[in-house]
Amino acid sequence: MFLIDSLVLIAGVLLLLAIMSSKLSTRLGVPVLVLFLLLGMLAGSEGIAGIEFENYPLAHGIGTVALAMILFDGGLGTSIPAIRLAWKPAVLLSTLGVLITALVTGVGASLILGISWLEGLLMGSIVASTDAAAVFSVMRSGGMRLPKRLEAVLEIESASNDAMAIFLTIGCIEVLLGNVVPGPALLGIFFSQMIVGAAVGLAGGFAGAWLVNRIDLNSAGLYPVLVSAIGLLTFGVTTHFAGSGFLAIYLAGVVIGNRPLVFQRGILLFHDAIAWLSQIVMFVVLGLLCFPSRLLNVAWLSLAVSAVLIFVARPLAVFVSTRGFRFTLKETVFMSWVGLKGAVPITLATFPLMLATPEKPLQAPLLFDVVFFTVVVSAVIQGTSLTPAARWLGLEQPPEPEPPVTLEINSLKHVHGEVVDYAVGEDSRAAGRLVRNLTLPEGATIAMIARGDQIVPPQGNTRILAGDHVILVLKPGIVALVSQVFGRDDDSRGTIPDTLEFPLRARTTISELQEFYLISVEAPPERTLAEVICTDLGCTEPKEGDSVKLGPLRLRIARLGIDGKIEMVGMSILPEQDRP
Amino acid sequence: MKLLEFLVPQAITVDLQATDKEGVIREIVGRLRQAGALAASDCESVIKAILSREELGSTGIGRGVAVPHTRHPSVDKLVACIATSQKGVDFASLDDHPAYVFFLLISPPNQPGPHLRALDNAARYMRDDQFVDSLRAAESPEAVISLIRDMDTQHNSGS
Repeated sequence: MFLIDSLVLIAGVLLLLAIMSSKLSTRLGVPVLVLFLLLGMLAGSEGIAGIEFENYPLAHGIGTVALAMILFDGGLGTSIPAIRLAWKPAVLLSTLGVLITALVTGVGASLILGISWLEGLLMGSIVASTDAAAVFSVMRSGGMRLPKRLEAVLEIESASNDAMAIFLTIGCIEVLLGNVVPGPALLGIFFSQMIVGAAVGLAGGFAGAWLVNRIDLNSAGLYPVLVSAIGLLTFGVTTHFAGSGFLAIYLAGVVIGNRPLVFQRGILLFHDAIAWLSQIVMFVVLGLLCFPSRLLNVAWLSLAVSAVLIFVARPLAVFVSTRGFRFTLKETVFMSWVGLKGAVPITLATFPLMLATPEKPLQAPLLFDVVFFTVVVSAVIQGTSLTPAARWLGLEQPPEPEPPVTLEINSLKHVHGEVVDYAVGEDSRAAGRLVRNLTLPEGATIAMIARGDQIVPPQGNTRILAGDHVILVLKPGIVALVSQVFGRDDDSRGTIPDTLEFPLRARTTISELQEFYLISVEAPPERTLAEVICTDLGCTEPKEGDSVKLGPLRLRIARLGIDGKIEMVGMSILPEQDRP
Repeated sequence: MKLLEFLVPQAITVDLQATDKEGVIREIVGRLRQAGALAASDCESVIKAILSREELGSTGIGRGVAVPHTRHPSVDKLVACIATSQKGVDFASLDDHPAYVFFLLISPPNQPGPHLRALDNAARYMRDDQFVDSLRAAESPEAVISLIRDMDTQHNSGS
């Protein structure tokens, strides 16, 4: 067997185990990255498999490429409205916030570890950035839903703050090595990182999106590769001109992801896969790299540093940076808790190891071990407790209903339109309705209805039945509207209807309702809503969620009292076409 | 129907001071008076009418949103105001959470159709979490207006 053959075997086994462990993640409530890291440690020199791996430059290389691809995918999935909503606090968090975190942690580290202030600051800078891979893996893959603005701030912060941490780390090392004196030169590094990073990133994104739509390739499989190439090229050009490659590739991703693209679905899916692969490879490699026995030697010191970082530095940074942006206390507390650390600190911690000279040892091995331990602590404790914390703070949002789409066909050439297939379920709003009554938006045409093994030609008086597959040709941008038409009829299941309800006491009378809404109904004015609903339903035992129509209104039983009588009614206004 | 058509821009505020139901309704009605949309002599009776609608059930529809409304003879066309609070207001809402975003509507007595349509539109807009979050975060009346304009365009195209 050649060496590469054994390496392929090991890689295959590790990838398979990592994918298996992701199944455990939801069951155990542990983020996947922690499991990947543990897997790496188990496979490592002091674990079961005993794989020797202590190549820091290689680890740094793998970490850099993997992080770049994770950020690129994150950018592709970030919508412009989310950025508009959150960029101000996110930018402050990723600059000022990182600086505060680094300073406070630095002071703590220098006192705890007995190293110089500047070495402390180096340590603080290394662990200052919130990790995009970790945050994305918990937020997007973990299925947690937060208020949109909070989610957007955290994602954009974590994607954009690595530039600042890298700058601080390199700055500290250069000063410690005596290559640079603190002052304007240092500020120069900062601005070149940020400005070159932003400029090349945006330019690369626009140029890339233009190229993808003009190039007219013969094979669909080449499009995702082309987009990856554009991302990597942007990263390379930026770092060549001393900019932040991470910032650049993220921005390029945002620009490309928000333009209409040829073969968009394939491109997004491919990069999602690449991001997963990158996460697995990066965390497993970092796990391989660490020596649990050496970590145990610094356990107590590292725990103290982690405590300063988690309980003092990050909260202070968040409170200062987001002041004036109208976050509630609960949201601020949650943001403080999402200071997840991940691969960036470990990658950055290899810098001192690679750059240290015999005269200037930079405390590199100590820093590496402490950083590693801190990251593991942060990933395990904060990562594992994020979902419970969101629930405890009352920030978790109900999950969005699954879209009813089962198939989307996008054209390879550039055509303004999509073909969409909806499977009509029992609870779909469309089930049982005539095609002409579907209130489809303009630009939506039903191409065919598949019923069993038959094709039904759609006409105005064709009735849609549960179990049908309805295939539509749509103009771009109206899928969401059409999905509403075919979506689940939430009313009938007693959950949130598609407009918000006004709560009314059940003993409200018809005349009171008429006073405020001037509705014309046949019911006697002295009747209460409870009586009207019961008469209409013809029932003796009302159930929560049952609803009746009353003129232009829908009245739904929102709550029953302990005596089984209706207590609260939810009033919503019927769309005009549904009124009698 | 576009909300901007009957929203009184000069009355919009992003900095409500009151923290209880009556106080907040008084404050918003006061702003409508300052903006010239209501006569000073009608204010008390408008406030009373809105509060008596609240008696039937809170218009706090959850998610931090309240839509206080009434019909009233003092106006001859729909009059609405959007206001946000940083502190949160106890509005006896459906979900027991404080309300931060207020859409207050006063309709003329004889136009039940537009009244209901406006309420329905407001409730429909407020179902969009991102819209509500953005409203809450808006730092100026201009920002509120531009959010409403976006939403109006989105909901009035295509269908």
